[in-house]
Amino acid sequence: MLPKGARDRFAALLGPGNYLDQPDDLKLYEYDGGVDKHAPDLVVFPRTALDVSHIVKLAREYRLPVVGRGAGTGLSGGAIPREGGLVVAFARMNRILEIDLEDERAVVQPGVVNLDITAAVEGNGYFYAPDPSSQRACTIGGNVSENAGGPHTLAYGVTTNHVLGLELVLPDGAIVETGGKECDLPGYDLTGLLTGSEGTMALVTRVTVRLMRKVELVKTALAIYESGEDAGRTVAEITARAITPVAVEMLDGVMLRMVEEATHAGYPMDASAVLLIELEGLREQVEEQVEQIREACLLCGAREFRVARTAAERDLLWKGRKNAFGAVGRVSPTYYVQDGVVPRTKIAPTLRFIAEVARSSGLTISNIFHAGDGNMHPIILFNPRQAGDLEKARGCGEAILGYCIEAGGSITGEHGVGMEKNELMARQFPPETLEMMSRLKLLFDPEGHLNPGKVLPTGRGCLEIRQQPLTAGTPLL
Amino acid sequence: MLKPRTVEELAEMLARPAKHARTIALEGCASKRLMGGPTPQADEYVTTSGLNRVLQYEPHDLTISVEAGLPWRELTALLAKHRQMIPLDPPYGAVATVGGVVAASSSGPRRRLYGTARDVVIGMTFVTLEGKQVRSGGMVVKNVAGLDMGKLMIGSFGTLAAIAVVNFKVVPAPEVERSFLLPFDSLAAAIAARDSILRGVLQPSAIDLLNPAAGAALGNRAWLLAVCCGGNTAAVDRYERELALLGNGVAFDGERHDSLWHYVRELTPTFLSQHQHGAVVRVSCTLKELQSVMEFLPGVALARAGSGVCYGYFERTQDAALWLSSAARRGWKGVLEFSPEEWKQDVEMWPAPGGDIELMHRVKKLFDPENLLNRGRLYRRI
Ligand SMILES: Cc1cc2nc3c(=O)[nH]c(=O)nc-3n(C[C@H](O)[C@H](O)[C@H](O)COP(=O)(O)OP(=O)(O)OC[C@H]3O[C@@H](n4cnc5c(N)ncnc54)[C@H](O)[C@@H]3O)c2cc1C
Repeated sequence: MLPKGARDRFAALLGPGNYLDQPDDLKLYEYDGGVDKHAPDLVVFPRTALDVSHIVKLAREYRLPVVGRGAGTGLSGGAIPREGGLVVAFARMNRILEIDLEDERAVVQPGVVNLDITAAVEGNGYFYAPDPSSQRACTIGGNVSENAGGPHTLAYGVTTNHVLGLELVLPDGAIVETGGKECDLPGYDLTGLLTGSEGTMALVTRVTVRLMRKVELVKTALAIYESGEDAGRTVAEITARAITPVAVEMLDGVMLRMVEEATHAGYPMDASAVLLIELEGLREQVEEQVEQIREACLLCGAREFRVARTAAERDLLWKGRKNAFGAVGRVSPTYYVQDGVVPRTKIAPTLRFIAEVARSSGLTISNIFHAGDGNMHPIILFNPRQAGDLEKARGCGEAILGYCIEAGGSITGEHGVGMEKNELMARQFPPETLEMMSRLKLLFDPEGHLNPGKVLPTGRGCLEIRQQPLTAGTPLL
Repeated sequence: MLKPRTVEELAEMLARPAKHARTIALEGCASKRLMGGPTPQADEYVTTSGLNRVLQYEPHDLTISVEAGLPWRELTALLAKHRQMIPLDPPYGAVATVGGVVAASSSGPRRRLYGTARDVVIGMTFVTLEGKQVRSGGMVVKNVAGLDMGKLMIGSFGTLAAIAVVNFKVVPAPEVERSFLLPFDSLAAAIAARDSILRGVLQPSAIDLLNPAAGAALGNRAWLLAVCCGGNTAAVDRYERELALLGNGVAFDGERHDSLWHYVRELTPTFLSQHQHGAVVRVSCTLKELQSVMEFLPGVALARAGSGVCYGYFERTQDAALWLSSAARRGWKGVLEFSPEEWKQDVEMWPAPGGDIELMHRVKKLFDPENLLNRGRLYRRI
């Protein structure tokens, strides 16, 4: 519930059509791509950084939580206002402000959809490298907050490697710029610190990104396996041979059948796993690498190795991959995606462990993931109407993430911690580390207004690292 | 000089003096005394040179974890045995420690393709003045669990905490590397050639621009583009054919290739060893601005022309400082990157910090409220 008078002040500040306060409308903002829910008390649609600044100042007066929202495709509950309050939706800050090909930069507002940057520059032979599978919908603001990756992260790096500057609104309304178009600016890398901070330290109102030149030749191959572990071993073999594909994605048998039925991408229905492998670069290099990859795949037991012959064939293979979650949705009413990472030599044993978890829980778990960098995405299918299924699914997820931590990996490679894995942070990091993160968060957001209850353990779990807010009215920063 | 042998000892050696408000100066092997702000007169001196172990290296995972005091050359030699590399190409590479390279965010020619420390560091353990060991990131190449605190340490010149352990992602070394030196009679012609490389499909790992004064030592008083290319033989041959269309260049293989890049990488140490009062400025600029910056630099000058970083060499520190302030008036973002120690107190090293300097001060205060650690080392602003 909004405090008395707050609604009218926001209404006066923003004007009609720039906010939502009716329960039916608010309900649309209670979820993201994950499994958690909580409705906001008010949704606002700023158009400028100044709007955002006024909004957070007013929110601060009423001590309302402030949660940024891009497209709501996040998979860890990042955009869910778990303590109510304000959702700042960036949908109307969706302009590309500048395209500067000579400097290999674009400057965009946070609500710009990821793929729209590439769409704006590809005619000139450029692209924006980070390519989350959700790139048709997700926004750059969301990408910066989560430090999003994608299939081509393997070669090109994640969002943080492509963001050079930010304009930020701090919780007290101050507008600050970090970084810029230039690289290597002296001083602390605040841009790097804020990228991946999941909207808990500042709201992002402008982003300067790197553009890259499109390559000469792209080859996409499909290696088909009778055993998932053979596919897992192939990843290690590719590394051992010093071949550097730009993407290595794995889909297991369950996933293949779901995807094929939905997309008709030409995936085999009877296989246990496929690897979707992409090579890019100069013609001379790529042609040789395709042969090296073929050898590695066959050596590890692939029953077939096909190379897409045309751009249309290639697009179809990728369509299957990128629409996979949609395909799952046709089969199972609800699913739960995990995002753990393991060192790439441990993919095969991790797949074995996931299969074991599935067997003992009785749930179906399917895998589709960024195998090249060890970023697993087990998808746990469950029926929310079946009593106890959601809890079972969460249990499976936790068991798998526990395994990833033990294997020397991480609980999240690209989806972020959000409100879904924050208690697990205490298993991955020692208390000193969590405390330092918490102090940095409070340095930017001393009153704990921004996206409360995310990333760090709340203390309701196993560890007492509190995101302790100061009292209102103390000077910020 | 305190020389901890374990991370625990390092923690203790920072916490004890800090508790008594004693100032602390950190160093690896002191290769960068001329770099950044003044090396402080401190109550305690702590060196990481006793922390020099390789903690974990599984070549097939393409990751390595090492202690901060490990000499950079030992790290690169170990990787080279497995035909892998971390291509930061820092100056002082023969003496610098891993921690120093990362704390100064040193980089070199191949940054065009491979990036800088912020792109290759995947995890870090650093030790705060409270003696706490903080871990950021980990040993996997993708990881968004919590804040990427390691980013704060990169380029911090040890003003926040002591880097104890660094985890890197590594890349396979290219099968063949070959370089090309293309001479041009004007800066404009060299920039035009650079632009046509950047607009094309070739992906050289380095595109450095040397002005005639910098090229003189290579026996060529022209504007020179030094281009480094890697790949299989067929690809590298293709680079040679296509780069030849841009200018009447020379190709370098093997030892000559190595010595070319050694010269370029070590230009700063060499220059400073020959000019006792010399100084080096560094300007970060856009690719478009690079031509004007290079034009405006009076003496020896070198640019990472594919990234937008220029280095200007001055025989007298006063001239460097004057130049820097006039560059700042033009809106260029520069620092006095290297200067003799006796000058560091008297000249402006970082004339025009951005609007985020206030936030940086607050970050410093969080880590080091009493300003005890490496005081002034960050271009004397922090
Ligand atoms: C089908 C599908 C496939 C996916 N594939 C990938 C993938 O391959 N790689 C990957 O990394 N992710 C993937 N995701 C996850 C998701 O798309 C990414 O996390 C994406 O970056 C979220 O962007 P968004 O605009 O939807 O952000 P939201 O979900 O709206 O928000 C995400 C977080 O960002 C914060 N936020 C948003 N905008 C701002 C702002 N302007 N300032 C401050 N904070 C802000 C929110 O508070 C929240 O914490 C996938 C999701 C789906 C549904």
